Amino acid sequence: MAAFCVRCVGNSKLTNYMQLKQVRILHNEVLAQSPTALSPLYPPILPSLTAKSKAAKQRRRDEYYKKVYAAPSVQEKIRLLTCLQRLKYVVNTQTSAINADRWYQHFTKTAYLSGLPEHFTNSGMDQVAETGDIVTSKALSDPDFEELKSLFCTALLQENFYMRKRTPFLYRTIEHYFSPFLNNAVSALTTLLAAQNPLLKESSLDFKPQVNFYWMRGERVVPRGHRKGSVDPIRFQIDDHPHSQIRVPKQLPEFVPLDYKVPAEVPVIKLEPDRLPLFKRQYDNHIFIGTKVTDPCVYGHTQFHLISDRMHRGRLTKANLEDQIEVRLRANAISSLFAWTGAQAMYQGFWSHEDVTRPFVSQCVITDGKYYSFFCYQLNTLALCVETDCNNPRKNICWGTESMPLYDTVEENDVKGFNDDTLKLLVQFLLYRPKAL
Amino acid sequence: MAELVVLRSLWNNLGTGKSICKRCLQTKTCDLIAVRQFYVTSSLFGKRRPPAIEEDIEIPGLERITFADRMYRVPGLAEPTFPEWNRGWRDPFQDPGPKYEEMPLFKEKACYVFNQKTKLLEGVKQALWLTKSKLIEGLPKQILCLAEDPDSRIENEDDRVQRAISHARFWDTTEVRPRKEKYCPVLLSNLLHLCRMLSLRYPSLSKRILAENYKVAAYWTRESSLFQVRGINGLLLNSTSPLAPLATQEEVQATESHILETFYPVSPTIDLQEVHVYEEKNDTGFRQGYPYPHAHTLYILNPLETCARFEPYQLQAKMIMFAFGNLLARARLLYGEQPRVLETPLVMQTIATNGRMFQFVVFQLNTTDLSSSDGIKNLVWLDRDQELYAYAKCLPEIKKKIVVVPAGLSGYRPETFRKFLAMYLHGAVQPSIKTEASAS
Repeated sequence: MAAFCVRCVGNSKLTNYMQLKQVRILHNEVLAQSPTALSPLYPPILPSLTAKSKAAKQRRRDEYYKKVYAAPSVQEKIRLLTCLQRLKYVVNTQTSAINADRWYQHFTKTAYLSGLPEHFTNSGMDQVAETGDIVTSKALSDPDFEELKSLFCTALLQENFYMRKRTPFLYRTIEHYFSPFLNNAVSALTTLLAAQNPLLKESSLDFKPQVNFYWMRGERVVPRGHRKGSVDPIRFQIDDHPHSQIRVPKQLPEFVPLDYKVPAEVPVIKLEPDRLPLFKRQYDNHIFIGTKVTDPCVYGHTQFHLISDRMHRGRLTKANLEDQIEVRLRANAISSLFAWTGAQAMYQGFWSHEDVTRPFVSQCVITDGKYYSFFCYQLNTLALCVETDCNNPRKNICWGTESMPLYDTVEENDVKGFNDDTLKLLVQFLLYRPKAL
Repeated sequence: MAELVVLRSLWNNLGTGKSICKRCLQTKTCDLIAVRQFYVTSSLFGKRRPPAIEEDIEIPGLERITFADRMYRVPGLAEPTFPEWNRGWRDPFQDPGPKYEEMPLFKEKACYVFNQKTKLLEGVKQALWLTKSKLIEGLPKQILCLAEDPDSRIENEDDRVQRAISHARFWDTTEVRPRKEKYCPVLLSNLLHLCRMLSLRYPSLSKRILAENYKVAAYWTRESSLFQVRGINGLLLNSTSPLAPLATQEEVQATESHILETFYPVSPTIDLQEVHVYEEKNDTGFRQGYPYPHAHTLYILNPLETCARFEPYQLQAKMIMFAFGNLLARARLLYGEQPRVLETPLVMQTIATNGRMFQFVVFQLNTTDLSSSDGIKNLVWLDRDQELYAYAKCLPEIKKKIVVVPAGLSGYRPETFRKFLAMYLHGAVQPSIKTEASAS
């Protein structure tokens, strides 16, 4: 280590050299004899906080991160991460953009696997098996299943036939006929299956909740203006309004380990998000799972989404967009579930620089009343911003099915062609719970 | 404030030709034609005295001399009357629509309709007169027994109910506190979710279904006036089996001697919507063959915070009227259109809340013979103004440096939830024998 006298240190070039080389000023012989055994006499030389230099900017960022690391509570941590409002891309869960699912996979670093995880495919309704740390038992006895089926049929007929209704408003047909049906169906499922799944007894059922998530992914160079040339992170916000959701006090077990090698790749899209199209707005950054942090039920179980009339398959078929039906369902699932699991992880104190130590798992069912698609999501990483993503091998995983019909038609007071498999899968979804229960 | 002064002065000076100078707020007689006030129509505020409408006096035998042939107004001549011009086809932009008298359903006799926005002046008294009912304060003893029964309670009931209230009142929003329009329905759905969990213990509770946005229609005659109950009322819990009558036959017979309270000089039709175009319809809102034909409980919400909110007495009247309407429609379906005393009285419950205060009503329909005020009356049990909790404050209320009301939920009363649960379980669960023995 070189030593310099105090007079020479006044030279600014020397000061910079010293910062780079981490030299120390010695000013008497005692220290010169044994430099390593003593603690520094002077505080560390740090870059300025207020200067217009890259070092100062880095110092400001580090101070900010130190404040976030040291935040006394989760609410304070989330407040520090979301207090500053800037222009951000608003990601709509129900979007009319073409091939939006690939873009959303890129924004959320999600790999999509078609089909459901092993837990749902291996264990049938009639098997009793113990696989790893997930217990699958005889899901539902036949009389209970028949009762559930008849409840579903009655709820469907109540809305479509028995109740006298006026014609629905424009683009509100699905909401008019199927929103109350789904209310009754979800209540019936939660109640009847609470015997097998004690987690549902402690659950909280929300109708028309609000789910928000705010994150940063990628960087861009500001093209024009007084900040031209500076590098900015790209910010995203999801504001989702599912039809209903079930929140539980205990976390659901993982489908695959945290460092699982996913067979699918996350698509990388080189174009900027404006090309999707995504639009920027500036307003409050919210991170919300449907309830505040003080609620005991902070983990998510299942969400139910009712698609809007604009995404109805009849309309898409007429517009020659048949392939987009499944694409839009996937995009909806990926964005909604990423927002929900991400917000759940942030409620536990994780953020992009403190990555999750355990995976966060949630499920969702997207329906238009007749066709049901089932999706499972495992959040393995929140580290999506440029600094933390460079050496991050983890990916989030989304499993999903194609849409399957629950019934063929409703004629007068009869439901024709009821599909038991769809109902069985719905039951399996709701019976998913930790091993201890 | 200044605007109010302007408005009052303008109203006082209506038709006198005077106006108010907005800047100095003094009444002045000025040339109004030059003054254009764009914020309100001139006819609305009487800036110009409306011209006196002179009636055309027809004297038979005398020919009216008009200025029709001259085609311009002459001071001494009468105004001509021309025959009404018919376009020959219906122009939708120029169509005033059919008059009430020309509509096919027009009737000379007025009908007084009660809908979901009606707020009766005399409240419960008026509702009792209209439905020919006798009021009993407090809930019937069957429901009170069920409320005190320790077996029909949820596990950790107090903790879970307080959690449900906190979720609705504090945790359900990204803002500091949710508004009443938000927390009122959320609280009701949370409490219903808790009640539904008991269907694991009592399987007959799953023979029920909720119906929202259904429309009821029922009509009846009371002392030569025709009344109707129409429209969307609230969330209805339907069940496969009817509720058993709560009052004994002797009590029902004893109502014959009860005299209905009138409130002269106020007419019983006050605040009801008077219509001349109506159809005498009896409709439960559901078609025949519906697997859950019996109405169990009606949940009415009072979520508005503004002047449109219901006062407690108006809300209680609404509960009684809609319970009566639902039961009357079902009674007419079961027993026919003829007014008669029912052999098996029909029973229905109503619960109304504004997010904190609960009102409970149980209605027993004993008779559909409502024309005269004598005879057997229907029965209404009313438990009014039951608080579920006293305060749910985000910030503590401090007066003179002393905490008067702490932050969070305070003043929780478990009895109200027990009554709510008892009314939910009523019909499917019998109270256990030891509670009945201790009560008797």
